[in-house]
This record gives sequence, C-alpha cells and structure tokens, in this order.
Amino acid sequence: MEDFLPAPDVAGTSLDGTAIFTIDADENAALCKSTGLEPASDGTAHPIYYYIATQVAMGKSVAGVCETCEFDVEDGPMMGSSGVRFAQQLMVGQDYRVTGEILSLVRKKSRKLGVMDVLTYRLRLHPAEGGDAVLETDNVWVLPRKELAA
Amino acid sequence: MTGASSIKAGDSLPPFVIESVSPDTMRDWSVFLADPNPIHLDVEVVKAKGLGDKRINQGPINVAYLMNMLMAAFPGCRIESMDSRFLDNVYEGDRAVASGEITAVEGNRVSCDLKLDVDGRGTVNAGTATIII
Repeated sequence: MEDFLPAPDVAGTSLDGTAIFTIDADENAALCKSTGLEPASDGTAHPIYYYIATQVAMGKSVAGVCETCEFDVEDGPMMGSSGVRFAQQLMVGQDYRVTGEILSLVRKKSRKLGVMDVLTYRLRLHPAEGGDAVLETDNVWVLPRKELAA
Repeated sequence: MTGASSIKAGDSLPPFVIESVSPDTMRDWSVFLADPNPIHLDVEVVKAKGLGDKRINQGPINVAYLMNMLMAAFPGCRIESMDSRFLDNVYEGDRAVASGEITAVEGNRVSCDLKLDVDGRGTVNAGTATIII
C-alpha cells in the first residue's frame, strides 16, 4: 500500500489543437544547420519537426498540460522518453494540425526522485486540409512531486 | 554507408559528432519550440534550481542529433519509427557523439540501436529506430 494519494484522473483529456502549424523553409534550414546538418533539397523537413510541430500546435501549452495534471511547470517537468511512427515524411510549406489525448498519469515512488507522476500523452499530426495522420508520437514526462517527498 | 545488400546486423554506423553543444543553438530552439524555459537560456536560473552551472540542452535537440546520425549514415533514408529515452542532461560545452548499430535488415528496412554519449558522463540518450533505405 503506497502512502500517497493517486495522481489526478486525467486520462482521456483532449489535446486536440486548433492552430495550424506550417514548417517554414527558412526556419527548417536554420534548424538543420544548428544541429550540423544541411537542409534537404527535396522539400522534406527535418524529422525532429515531429516533436516541434505537435508540441507547438497541440491544444494546450506545456504549462497547460502540467496544470491539467495539477503540476506547476515551474517545478520542472522532465522528458522521460519520446517515440514516433511516421506514415509520411514531413514537408516544408505543408500546413498541419494536431489531435491527441493524455493516455495516463501514474504516481510512483523512485529512489532518485521520490514521489513522481509519469505522464504519457499521444499526439497525431494531420494535413490541415484533412486526412490520415502523417505521424503519431507518444511522449512520456516525469513530473517530480516535491511536495509529496516527505 | 551503401545499399541494403552490403549491410548486416552488427554493423556500426558512423558516429555523428557535436564538438561543443552551443548555448546559441539552445536560444534558437527556444524559438522553434515556442518554449522559453530559462534552464536552456540562463545559467543563473540553472544554478538557482540546483541543476548545475551550465545551460541544459533541450531534449528534442538530442533526438535530432540521433536523427542526423541516421541520415548521414544512409543519405536519402526515411525514418519509419524511432524511440528514445532521456537518461541524463546534455549541457552547454559538452562534446556529444551520436552512434548506432544495426540490429536487423529486412529488405530495405533497417533496424538500429542508437545512443548519444557525452565525454565524461557516458550515455545520455538511448533508443531504437527503423529506417527505410
């Protein structure tokens, strides 16, 4: 029996976005060069835009996701893992929109961090004009619960 | 590296090296990510939070290094799937090396183990990927 309350029940919370995300050619070039890579000449964007586009255009900000989980973003959420499955490559100049949801929020105790909540959420990136997702990503964040560490 | 016929499980992928992780890149990525978290921008904030005395690289940049390693190893490849775990922070000034090893080849589909190491602290990011070459 754990000596702390369970995490807030937030599974199923929608992260559908209304914003349109467009991968700008100049920004893609700058991003590629910032990591030591020349931008592709065939119109494809750097695949890391899977993370950027879904984070920027999801229906809540990072702080908003934390707030849903009753966690203050100032307490320092940490990335645990990130996975992506691409159906198509991402294209410069293409308009995209995001759908998604929180999958789970599980409270655990770790030796290193004490009590923490493990947040898993799924986002999908779709062409803005409609159609199947071009990618699906699952991200896991660790939310350290310092206030429950005693 | 070349086509699927010449590669096999156990082959190492050429490393992709970042000689010194740049705080200027972190500043640029705070714009790309629309996330002005000061631990990536302000050393004093990092110190105040007890997280060390250097700015902390944004996690997605570390994933991008791994992707760059794959794309450099297989020019023109398409990443089909990728998973990565964040094991430790990467700090400004770190020398980071992305590397990988092929675990399976099925037709033009190549599976790999990936890791990002920093000098002196070992593996800070590890994962797997499947690419189409």
